[in-house]
Amino acid sequence: MDAFAAVMLLVLMFALLGSGVWIGLSLMGVAWIGMELFTARPVGDAMAVSIWGGLSGWTLTALPLFVWMGEILFRTKLSEDMFKGLAPWLGRLPGGLIHTNVVGCTIFAAVSGSSAATCATIGKMTLPELTRRGYPDKITIGSLAGAGTLGLLIPPSIIMIVYGVTADASIARLFIAGVVPGLLLALLFSGYVALWSLRNRDALPPHEAAPSLGERLRASRHLLPVVTLIVLVLCSIYFGIATATEAAALGVVGALGVAAAQRTLSWRNFRDSLLGATRLYCMIALILAGSAFLTMAMGYIGLPRHLAQWIAGLGLSTWQLILALTAFYIVLGCFLDGISMVVLTVSFVMPTILAAGIDPIWFGIYLVIVVEMAQVTPPVGFNLFVLQGMTGRDMLWIAHAALPFFCLMAALVVVLYAFPGLITWLPSQMGFSG
Amino acid sequence: MRRILDACYEGAAWIAALLMIALLGLVVASIASRLVGINLPGLDAYAGYCLAGASFLALASTFVHGGHIRVELLLGRLPAGARIWAERVCLLVALTIVAAFAWVSVQLCWTSYEIHDLSVGDDATPLWIPQLGMALGTLVFLLAVIDRLVQSFTAPATTGAVEAHFTE
Repeated sequence: MDAFAAVMLLVLMFALLGSGVWIGLSLMGVAWIGMELFTARPVGDAMAVSIWGGLSGWTLTALPLFVWMGEILFRTKLSEDMFKGLAPWLGRLPGGLIHTNVVGCTIFAAVSGSSAATCATIGKMTLPELTRRGYPDKITIGSLAGAGTLGLLIPPSIIMIVYGVTADASIARLFIAGVVPGLLLALLFSGYVALWSLRNRDALPPHEAAPSLGERLRASRHLLPVVTLIVLVLCSIYFGIATATEAAALGVVGALGVAAAQRTLSWRNFRDSLLGATRLYCMIALILAGSAFLTMAMGYIGLPRHLAQWIAGLGLSTWQLILALTAFYIVLGCFLDGISMVVLTVSFVMPTILAAGIDPIWFGIYLVIVVEMAQVTPPVGFNLFVLQGMTGRDMLWIAHAALPFFCLMAALVVVLYAFPGLITWLPSQMGFSG
Repeated sequence: MRRILDACYEGAAWIAALLMIALLGLVVASIASRLVGINLPGLDAYAGYCLAGASFLALASTFVHGGHIRVELLLGRLPAGARIWAERVCLLVALTIVAAFAWVSVQLCWTSYEIHDLSVGDDATPLWIPQLGMALGTLVFLLAVIDRLVQSFTAPATTGAVEAHFTE
């Protein structure tokens, strides 16, 4: 009976998703049919109450505010400024200005919660500049596709909020837990770029004349706005001064301040950023609504509990479980976007994870990295979409260019499994326990 | 008729946008009140209501602008004629689900009004007021889906626009 219910609902889910029904609505459809067939509870009440409860919660309020902050910053001259501030420092490294992709994305990720927005904002400046200077397209575009995903791992992070809300984990802790793995991944990316450049010296343009230290320091003033925003958002969370939501509100106000200081805060830009953020958030909200209903329905049917018992019965060790999950998520990531991946699976997987004694914060960070990998796997990968739009290149070509960076992310998962302290140490030092 | 419908979607989206500003204002107010040491109870709950209102009221406009995501893998590979039919089937399925969504939302709001359901938090708000946004938003969403389904028969070429997503 249970196996039958599981298989039937799974087939229904894939049929709805695959045929192109909007994802949030597909989830509602599966939840409705599942409850109608396998429980005796009133379906309509469950639907209304779960969706209302899911979308009116205080914890979720950080999400639209961070989306809004990103929309404002995308319309400022921030990326231009960052390039001006970073280029003088990075030009002499092996790999030269390719590092502006990695370092630019790393810094921008600390004010942006999304991978595609990071990729688009940084690429807006670095792609034309690097192409003009004669850097090879493949490493330029590949490193941008890879480094853009840092937007998810380095806080603030939209996917972490989604995970925190669905899995009932502390969002502030998840944010802080992402810092060390995020910097480590950036270091891996930069290291790869440097190694690649040393082996392909002929393909790169010659180094430009190095500016003097004074000139470099003067150029660094362009980094001041972004650094101020980072301090405002991240430090307020880390030292326990603000919750994630309050930090997000400070971020929006700060971003508006930056836009005003740069004289890019026109009525048009303000209106576009506001409506853009409202619609983007709404898109996420529809998926969350579907997921809230589906989670409640699955709880009534008891599928996640049975799944956990079944997996426990297999007697897998922790690393076998993580390996199996990683393979599962990589395949899923080829066809689904990150948010849908998380909301679809977390309610099923969580009981298993807890039963296996895995820390929910560790699992959250792990999940974010797997979702990052999904951003660059064809045929559905948001960074690929963004770069396809920006460069006009074929998606498979971009995916191939990003492949080394995909492998580095996989390597990071192994490292974090071996050294879980990289994730758990920093949050344990936080100012408060929220 | 076209103009009235579009005004409906955009009007709802503008209310949603104003609720976003209100949400920002409430969070900033709660920070400020804590800094000066005044306790304003219920701000968190109001922020939650603004959030919910914004999400539901923007549904239609987001749908019309092609903002809600779907898996277009198979859909995009069909020949043009088959694609139009597949699109109609998708819209019909969506219509059924959104109709149920709107129906239960209106019912929830009505029930809260009938039994004078109050929020259990500090704010003690009559719940039908914020739930009105859910009822209205889902109704406008239903209207937009019907509109699109009708269009898929009268002017099928206009469907299927894809927008860039900056969410993730």
